[in-house]
Amino acid sequence: MLKNKFSRRNFLQQTGTWAAAAAAVGVLPNIAHAAREKELNIYCWEGYNSDDVLDPFRKEFSAKVRAEGLTSDPDAVNKLRAGETKVWDIINVNNPWAREQMYPEGLIKPISRERFEPYYNKMMPAFKPPYKWAMDSKGKELLGMTQRFGPFSFVVNTDKISRKMAEDQGFKLFLDPAMKGRYGLLTYDNWNIYHMCIAADIHPFKKHSKAEIAKFGEVAKQIFNGAKNLTDDLVAMNLALINGEIDAYFTGGTYTASPARLDGAKNIRGITPNSGPMDGKGGIVWIELTSVVNNPNPSALAEDFLEYVQRPDVSKKVAFAEGTYNPVTQMGSSDVLSKFSKEELDAIQWDSLEQEMTNSVDYDINPDYAEMYELYSAAKRERKT
Amino acid sequence: MAGTTQNSKLQWLRNPGVLAALPASIFLLIGFAGPLLMVGAYSFMPSRSFSLNQIPTFENYISIIHDSYYLSFFWSLAMAVIVVILLFIICYPIAYGMAKLFNKWANLVTALIAVPILISENIRLFGWVLILLKNGILDGSLQSLFGVSASGLLFTVPAIILGLVYVYLPFTLFPLVIGISMVPDTLKEAASDLGATRWQIFREVELPLSMPGLMIGGILTFVLVLGSLAEAKILGGQAIVMIADDIESAFTFAQNWPKGSALSVLLIALSGFIVFLLFRRVDLDRVIGRR
Repeated sequence: MLKNKFSRRNFLQQTGTWAAAAAAVGVLPNIAHAAREKELNIYCWEGYNSDDVLDPFRKEFSAKVRAEGLTSDPDAVNKLRAGETKVWDIINVNNPWAREQMYPEGLIKPISRERFEPYYNKMMPAFKPPYKWAMDSKGKELLGMTQRFGPFSFVVNTDKISRKMAEDQGFKLFLDPAMKGRYGLLTYDNWNIYHMCIAADIHPFKKHSKAEIAKFGEVAKQIFNGAKNLTDDLVAMNLALINGEIDAYFTGGTYTASPARLDGAKNIRGITPNSGPMDGKGGIVWIELTSVVNNPNPSALAEDFLEYVQRPDVSKKVAFAEGTYNPVTQMGSSDVLSKFSKEELDAIQWDSLEQEMTNSVDYDINPDYAEMYELYSAAKRERKT
Repeated sequence: MAGTTQNSKLQWLRNPGVLAALPASIFLLIGFAGPLLMVGAYSFMPSRSFSLNQIPTFENYISIIHDSYYLSFFWSLAMAVIVVILLFIICYPIAYGMAKLFNKWANLVTALIAVPILISENIRLFGWVLILLKNGILDGSLQSLFGVSASGLLFTVPAIILGLVYVYLPFTLFPLVIGISMVPDTLKEAASDLGATRWQIFREVELPLSMPGLMIGGILTFVLVLGSLAEAKILGGQAIVMIADDIESAFTFAQNWPKGSALSVLLIALSGFIVFLLFRRVDLDRVIGRR
């Protein structure tokens, strides 16, 4: 009798019935919720997803951590918009997105000021609290933690174009007829639009007149037509620069030049123009902000992770994770700075970082991006090679 | 009686074929038709909207017609036509050898051609970058051996064509092998006995009878090249912009899902139209040997 009672078919039927009943009274959601106590999903620029960064966290918090690298800020934000707030717990994108778009759209949620502001006090002077990009527009809520940052304008081979000449000429270098066919264009489209604005003597982060937008379109055409190659792969671009295929590339900086520099190609250098149309400044600096996603079934580990990456050893790992190498805001503390070797500091152009930051404005949203993008993509399609 | 009629109406539901096909059909409906419908619906939403709860509009299609997207469609179509023609010329002799001449070596040749497919396309293309790069493997070797430079090959339209031919060769070759192997040797012998020259045998016997394989390989390659992206980006330095690149940009940097959807719909319609036209000339039953 007992044997009959627990036959395979009977067992499956019983399991099915109990599962259905449990789901009906809402037991299953609770089980799922309980499972997220030790689960964390991270959507980030490469680096935070490296095992060097994540494995110690997994071990210490007995956590199941899944991390995926993103390929562009807008793409990542679009994924959250498309409903992936249910998937991710942590998102790491560049500075303007949190304050200007993700928080107003309810895609991320604030973190505890009490818990995290002391960490801002230890950062480099430019990031002391309340740090604009980490706060909501009213200045009340803390929206995330800064870590990696870097000047981002263009890159040259200093054996072919001197650093001084590149810094003095700024983006005008790419409008010089002598440069036609001698430079590549890294297709980070949003950055290119900002940099083409600067080349056209236009402030990229202000509202533009029709004449300014038309001027942008002309400069975009000129820069596309003068480019030897277009690629979204920084390794391919560095390779072309090292091999002499090109002498410079439009859109780049510490982020893209550092892997080549650490490999010994010290002649590859990110350049920040000495001057430009942005209140006299000619460069842009990006700052990553890591925020907690407004997940309807949140992970209990999200804020723990934000705190974990502030540790000196982890900060260093984030700065020098696989792919690209970048300064971190935590280098304001000698505990963190002392962890970098001379070669590593040279790879991230530590010697000129302060000057480059002074000559740069913070990355922001361009109010005419959509209109300029149409002109930009038309110039790309209609490129004369 | 009413019950009986009802039963007979629903009789088809009990058909084992229908029942067996039901899971796959549901899966296809959700996983294939569903996303396509979503793309179709988004293409009629106002520019830069992220929801389907808007008043439908044709503005995306109108803007595509007014802008220079015809250039991307043209380049994608041109690449597809050129690559298919080149692959026919390259693959026919290889396929003939594999089907009729190589005998036991045919398996080895198949393996040699098929194995690279297991490696990521981007990695294989990057290998070509190292070969074609200025001072790279080809240029460096030619310079040191013969004092001749071969720089300037990378970031050009021919480099894109090279990449496309290299990547899509197996997709033309294998259907072609099947097509050629379907041509009975006895027919060629009969033609020869009746006095046909080697060229006449090829033109009037082999080519028409291997046409189904040729068409399948051609269509497959044509559609894949039409939607290709990596070759123009990695080897071509985007010397030309393929339509797939415009679609990707619309969904990412432009944050314009409706325009990306409209471009996708047009690409699907274009591929569908061409495939429909070509398939009217191919008897699939013959290809798979049912008749």
